[in-house]
Amino acid sequence: MNAYLIYVARRLVILLATVFISMTVVFFVPRLVPGDPLGAIFANMASVGGSVNAPELVAEYRLRFGLDRPMWEQYLSFWRELLRGNLGFSISNFPAEVSDMLLSALPWTIGLLLVTTLLSWTLGSIIGAVVGWRGRQAGGWRLLVPVALVLYTIPYYILAIILVFSFAFHWPIFPLSGAYSVGMQPGWNSAFILDVLRHAILPALSILLVSLGWWFLSMRSLIITLKGEDYILNAEARGIFERRIMWGYAFRNALLPQATGLAISLGHIVGGALITEVIFAYPGVGYRIYNAINSLDYPLIQGGVLLIILSVAAANFLIDILYPLIDPRIRFEGTGGS
Amino acid sequence: MAVVSIQKNAGERRQGVFWALLRNHKFVIGSSIFLVLLLIALIGGLTVDLAERRSGAFPTRQPPGPEAILGTTSLGQSVAIQMTEAIPNSVQVGLIAALVGTLIGAFIGFTSGYFGGWVDAVLRILIDVFLSVPSLLFLILIAALVRGVEVTTMALIIGAFAWPSPARQVRAQVLSLKERGFVQVARLSGMGGLEIIVRELMPHMIQWLGANFVNAFIAAVLAESGLSILGLGPQREMTLGMMIYWALSFSAVFQNLWWWWATPVLALMVLFLSLYLVHIGFDEVSNPRLQTEI
Repeated sequence: MNAYLIYVARRLVILLATVFISMTVVFFVPRLVPGDPLGAIFANMASVGGSVNAPELVAEYRLRFGLDRPMWEQYLSFWRELLRGNLGFSISNFPAEVSDMLLSALPWTIGLLLVTTLLSWTLGSIIGAVVGWRGRQAGGWRLLVPVALVLYTIPYYILAIILVFSFAFHWPIFPLSGAYSVGMQPGWNSAFILDVLRHAILPALSILLVSLGWWFLSMRSLIITLKGEDYILNAEARGIFERRIMWGYAFRNALLPQATGLAISLGHIVGGALITEVIFAYPGVGYRIYNAINSLDYPLIQGGVLLIILSVAAANFLIDILYPLIDPRIRFEGTGGS
Repeated sequence: MAVVSIQKNAGERRQGVFWALLRNHKFVIGSSIFLVLLLIALIGGLTVDLAERRSGAFPTRQPPGPEAILGTTSLGQSVAIQMTEAIPNSVQVGLIAALVGTLIGAFIGFTSGYFGGWVDAVLRILIDVFLSVPSLLFLILIAALVRGVEVTTMALIIGAFAWPSPARQVRAQVLSLKERGFVQVARLSGMGGLEIIVRELMPHMIQWLGANFVNAFIAAVLAESGLSILGLGPQREMTLGMMIYWALSFSAVFQNLWWWWATPVLALMVLFLSLYLVHIGFDEVSNPRLQTEI
């Protein structure tokens, strides 16, 4: 248990270092980039004109970023505001706060990614196990291996473009974009839920197919390795049914490393589908960031990036802490390798 | 005599690696596809006049035909001519970024693994931190400020964030090599830290760095196209990502200008597949146990 505590402490240091380093990078990047980009953004804000509150907004930002104060004072007040959860105001939708805009987008991203990740993990692991176990006897199923390789090499957003063209434009089976139909009133009724599902199928498919390829390949190679293990041969010699050896002996043992992979990809969920969201105009965090990029809304970009970094760091930390409790084979290394 | 025979042996082995790569089908197929794609683009680019590159040089929205073999865009550019610029540029981003990332990574990894102690402790935390944060985020943050980057700048920015994974692996390799006999002998015979790194450790890592380099190359091309599609790419130059960006922003998908978006998409897929095959080839040669049948 002592070793476990040291391990947790080390993970905690890494978590804190991640938060500290990324906040610091986020703070210094706009100030160190040549050409005074912050100044340019403010100039742009002032010139947007027409926008009712522009002068107040500029004044607010001058105050908040305190561009006339020394760098270290700016840095300290940056931290103070962050710790209060204040990410500032969005430039493009002024009265709206960045944190509110991001929080309203978060459920869409998490919903889409959580379901697709779990689904593709389950499907990929099961198919991979069957194909890996049967080996050369798997027949036509073996064709899945090159297919999975190709799917796994394609970036998910490329697949997204192909899917939009095929199933939303050429054969208009699914909606082109958005998370629900225009004019639909969000609520917990069956019509709305069905509409949301219909809109989610293509974006989900683009992420699902790509990650499915990966889970399939890794499960298959795990099973192939396990098949040669002594305890499998022993089980065979004892005359246990093949089906039982496969699921009860090989599959169960291969699940553990697969679960590590699942944990890692769950950690990356929030940032996982930035570009898919852009292509489908899916109103998640990624799409918010994309709109912010187009409207030069730097506070919103900053807030979105921070949100993703923090959630990835937190998820990694939780997984690192919980994992050794699940897998007894993990040994703690206080100082050595990683 | 003994020294001579060992050196000769080492020479044979290195040559052996080269031949092994040439005998590896995946490596040969992958690198041939990659080279053919690049050569077509480079040779095609030589035959193009500057005037033909301007927008409006061709009639707009033409499907593939005798005048423009891959069709034209809404701005009257030939897709084929754009490709002759986009493929070499994307490959250039990959090369520069992978080189920068691998070099920085190798340096940090060597330092961390070889010197150990507090240097290692600090560098390890740094590596872990940058490994756990998706680098695309930092890239978005920077590229959103440095608008209108050029291809080279973009490659350098991507490369600056591509070091954590090579650093981690180089560190692990150094740790395992460090305790081997020949390094101890070198240390006992009075070689300095840097000399041991360059003369004793480096040669063992070359082949392995090759596989890692290809990996970084793939990641960099991926980062370039991702950033470009988000609207953060080099606006005044063509890359495969920028071609997709322009096609998407003129909604080529919904206007049935399939040749406009499908060409760069297909090129990216071929590029990734060929590089991935090269990567598998490298892996199999440096670690024969990995040989799998497909």
